[in-house]
Amino acid sequence: MNAIRGLWRTTPLVRSVLNKITLNRQFATATIPPIKPIEEVPNTVELDKLYKRVELEMRGIDPAVLLSYSWFCIAAASNLGIEVTKSWALRKAEKERHTLLRCVHIYKKHRVQYEIRTYFRFLHLQRLTGSTCDTFLEYIERNLPEGCALKVTKVECQKMPDHLTPPQE
Amino acid sequence: MSLFIRKYKPGVVYNTQILWRLNSTTAETQKQGEEEEEFRVLDILQKKTRIQKKAARRADIQPDRSEKMPTDQNWGNVWPGPRSFHPSSVPLPIRQGYVPKGQAPPGKKANAELMKIPNFLHLTPPVIKTQCEAIKPFCTEWPKLLNSEEAIEKHYPVEVITSDYCHASPTIRNPLARIVTMRVKLSDLKLDSRARDKFLRLVGDKYDEKTDLVTFTADRCPVRKQNLDYVNYLLTACYHESWTVEDWEKEKCLEDMEYYDFDMHPSKKNLVNWFFMSNNKENNLSDDEIKSFDTSSIPNGVEYKNAVSELFNEGENVTTLKNYDTAVRKLLGLPEKKVVD
Repeated sequence: MNAIRGLWRTTPLVRSVLNKITLNRQFATATIPPIKPIEEVPNTVELDKLYKRVELEMRGIDPAVLLSYSWFCIAAASNLGIEVTKSWALRKAEKERHTLLRCVHIYKKHRVQYEIRTYFRFLHLQRLTGSTCDTFLEYIERNLPEGCALKVTKVECQKMPDHLTPPQE
Repeated sequence: MSLFIRKYKPGVVYNTQILWRLNSTTAETQKQGEEEEEFRVLDILQKKTRIQKKAARRADIQPDRSEKMPTDQNWGNVWPGPRSFHPSSVPLPIRQGYVPKGQAPPGKKANAELMKIPNFLHLTPPVIKTQCEAIKPFCTEWPKLLNSEEAIEKHYPVEVITSDYCHASPTIRNPLARIVTMRVKLSDLKLDSRARDKFLRLVGDKYDEKTDLVTFTADRCPVRKQNLDYVNYLLTACYHESWTVEDWEKEKCLEDMEYYDFDMHPSKKNLVNWFFMSNNKENNLSDDEIKSFDTSSIPNGVEYKNAVSELFNEGENVTTLKNYDTAVRKLLGLPEKKVVD
């Protein structure tokens, strides 16, 4: 057995020949589905999206920061030639309250209340193309101050799909 | 007394006056009362009164950078990016903080209030303008012909609503971003009356009568693309399903109608028969011909039709009954109802 193994190791030529044979045999036995050439993707121009309306909702812990940020957004929009339709803030902050016992175990009448305030600010933009929208949002989101969150709701308008036509019979 | 013992050495003849002076101060005050007025307190621990030394200002410290800034500098280069407040870089007399009564608020140096709040010193109007000029080549203009809401709605009737979120969080993915809403006006879809009826039955409460909008919302798939595809599928499927006519749909007869259709009811037959009789004509029309008979050819016929349909569809109330009354009187040529005082 060792002698055979030694022969196997020392003669790479024999080995390669053997391998070829076995491989060929495998190919012959397995049924291969014919490989189709990849169809060329038709060159279509990618059309820009159209956003009828973009609604920004900013929320944060500091109303002054939100105000400054909305000023920045409006300034950037006017420099890029985007129409700003509305900009307003909620009159009162949203308060999330937790009521706890002041003393841990007794005195149920005496409690403390903690609250988390979230301030809101809204900005509505009108009529943006897809590339304008992407550029503007990228710029704005990169300059988002600490402690603020931004929600962007995009209303995209599309053509009626071609397949929505009554069947012809 | 201890002093006495310490000072006392046997065999030494002490000056009695010195001993006396140590024991009592009366003799001294008697002697030097006019020279030393203040009572000198015995300072045993030898405590030195601490005098606050004014820290000598080092001569090699430069004056503040903010004081040396020229007035025509480019502020964007001084403060290029977001950074917490630094007093010696900002040449503004800013004050912020709790105001004690009769005092000015604390100044800008070593002021934690100014450092806590995120500032916008890197986003001054000229900086925004230059940055916007730089990114403007990536923007495209809105098509000029789409200059009104009607024009947009006419050419692009389908609305797809999606949301993006940007906030500080361990992950940048917000699961709410997957939700896709699609809105179409029902009048923009090409449907005939039967297909429209079936479409409304299929979509159910997704249709809003006030705004005439059909709203599909999908949030069942994990990715926005999948939800968008699903919403498109829903619209397509509902549309084509509403156009297909099943065999059992033809079996719907008069008793199955959920609303009053004047043309299908015997009232129409009676009306047409009465019309021919009153004009002394032969009525040779079949049932189908009666159903398709134009009511507007009968004088006051349309009014009567509307009044009857209203009476059955809306139910009996004062207005519908009154309408029916006037319509019948007009149709039959009867005098108008007299109001009895």
